Amino acid sequence: MTTTAPTDVVSPSAAAPEASPRGRLKGTLVGLGIAVATLLAGLAVPYVVTDTYRMSLLVEGTLLSLLAIGIGFLARHLGLISLGHGAFFGAAAYGVGIATTNWGWSPTTAVGFGVVVGTGFAVVMGLLVVRSSGFGFLMLTLALSQALYALSVQTSARPLTGAHDGKLLSYDRDMTFLGLAQRDVMNPGLFWPMAWIALTMCATVLWLVGRSRFGTTLEGIRENEERMRFSGYDTFGPRLVAFVLSGAVASLGGALFAINSGYVSPDILGFTRAGDSLIAALVGGFGLLVGPIVGTFLFVYAQANFNFGGNLHLFTGMALILVLVFMPGGITGSLQKLYHRLRRGRR
Amino acid sequence: MNAAQLLNGIALGSLLMVLSSGLAMIYGLRGVANFAHGALYMSGAYIAYSVSDRAGFWLALLVVPLALAVVGVLLELVFFRPLQHRSHIELGLITFGLALMAERLVVLIWGERTLRVTPPEFLQGTSNFLGVEYPSYRLAIIAIAVVLAAALVLWLRSTTTGLHIRAASQDIETAAIMGINVDRVSLVVVAVGSALAGFAGALAAPYIALDPGMGSAFLITVLIIVVVGGIGSIGGAMIAGMGLGVIQSVTTVWSPSVAVVVPYLALTIVLLWRPTGLAGKRVS
Repeated sequence: MTTTAPTDVVSPSAAAPEASPRGRLKGTLVGLGIAVATLLAGLAVPYVVTDTYRMSLLVEGTLLSLLAIGIGFLARHLGLISLGHGAFFGAAAYGVGIATTNWGWSPTTAVGFGVVVGTGFAVVMGLLVVRSSGFGFLMLTLALSQALYALSVQTSARPLTGAHDGKLLSYDRDMTFLGLAQRDVMNPGLFWPMAWIALTMCATVLWLVGRSRFGTTLEGIRENEERMRFSGYDTFGPRLVAFVLSGAVASLGGALFAINSGYVSPDILGFTRAGDSLIAALVGGFGLLVGPIVGTFLFVYAQANFNFGGNLHLFTGMALILVLVFMPGGITGSLQKLYHRLRRGRR
Repeated sequence: MNAAQLLNGIALGSLLMVLSSGLAMIYGLRGVANFAHGALYMSGAYIAYSVSDRAGFWLALLVVPLALAVVGVLLELVFFRPLQHRSHIELGLITFGLALMAERLVVLIWGERTLRVTPPEFLQGTSNFLGVEYPSYRLAIIAIAVVLAAALVLWLRSTTTGLHIRAASQDIETAAIMGINVDRVSLVVVAVGSALAGFAGALAAPYIALDPGMGSAFLITVLIIVVVGGIGSIGGAMIAGMGLGVIQSVTTVWSPSVAVVVPYLALTIVLLWRPTGLAGKRVS
């Protein structure tokens, strides 16, 4: 296995390490405080944004952000770029669709089931791919997720997935998702708290994991996998756990996405979806946890406003190239660099 | 299973062979999986449509590789060479961005509807081959692709440029130290690789329907072929391409649902069993 050279795209944030355990604890508490404040502030959004269309865009951005922070977590802590996370997002969405529509489960149980299905796929794919790195990893994740797509649109899979037609979710009128009936669940204003809580919770968990001893182990593996093994660390286990964790976050996004939109399109598993999410995360920047979220909201905004004549991919392709050539580290990475330069200049 | 189905597999395998040998050359030398390869193939097919509309199909087979070679030169001079110190993943993602743009540009120029190219008149019917009536044009594809592959292997094996390409593919730094002009070799390789992709597109144009999604549909298969064949091994890619084409066509007859996952299955099995690919010496 060759060691991958650390790249600009996935280089870690230049945060100063806290020297003492006490300072570390303080940092964690400050972080948690910010997380709670963000969570509470976000809950007020439906009162500020009253337009249903704008609200639905915000919900879409939030749910796709779950997919993007999963991708970003792997890139930041392991230097692995995945094109396969769409598979977990999509598998969870189909899981919800099948559990509600085919088996008559209640939406709440179905969402739990969807997350389990998506995470299960992450375990299987992880066992196959985490030994590889660099391009091997990128292509294996791409190939395995495309295999799932190819299977989902087969005519023989029609009773389960609806093949090319996609799957429309239907469940009894008196069944609710955490107290919301189907009509309310599809109302972005009412669904927003769930999406927002899911995103802030997942982001906080990923942040805490990244700061923990486990996160440090992951960074060691990213910098030099061979040396970590020589030092007596197991490198397969941590890689697999990190992969499954990021897959689980993406699955939660997919399950909520299915419940909210009430329809699962086969495109959700396609190459384009995976590529779009990766581009959004890259443009936002992998160096910071919020980078992929910023990128995803920008992408959703662009999709809503610049998609005239179906030319969206002309612009996303251009944005991807410009960011990679001129500002590796993405938008948040560049802002961070600017901030550090200003601070140094003042001293 | 009958001979016609086997021939279908060989025709598909021939196209995959030409496409994947171009990708394998670029991958072997620059270490970059060129995600724009599918887009190059698609552009080749569309340019072939326009040229054969005005000046005939044979001219298209000549013009398209030349045009795509120019695109390859631009690709090398604008992206690969100035950014060669960047990580390979970043360069790969840049080509991914290029592919996205190319797909839209093709729609803007030629429109979204499906286009067809008619093969030259004497290849339009069927001919009797080994006792089966088989479309002549597909036989021509097989013949042209085999000749092309043989010429490519001969070029790589017996010319000085070929020697330099093989040396640089094995270890670009050592090759540079030994006095090989790596920049020139890389320019030749990217130009030839792109020309091969365009040629495959032109060759495929009368055989398949032209639509803007044709590139990305093939891209994943071709990437898989190159990894299965072994990074840096052009021969491995050719064999894997032909093998996959035949296996896929034959399994389609037996069970279409299994056939769609054949490439993915092949990739997973090969990488678990031999991480370097069938004929490769490096791990990707």
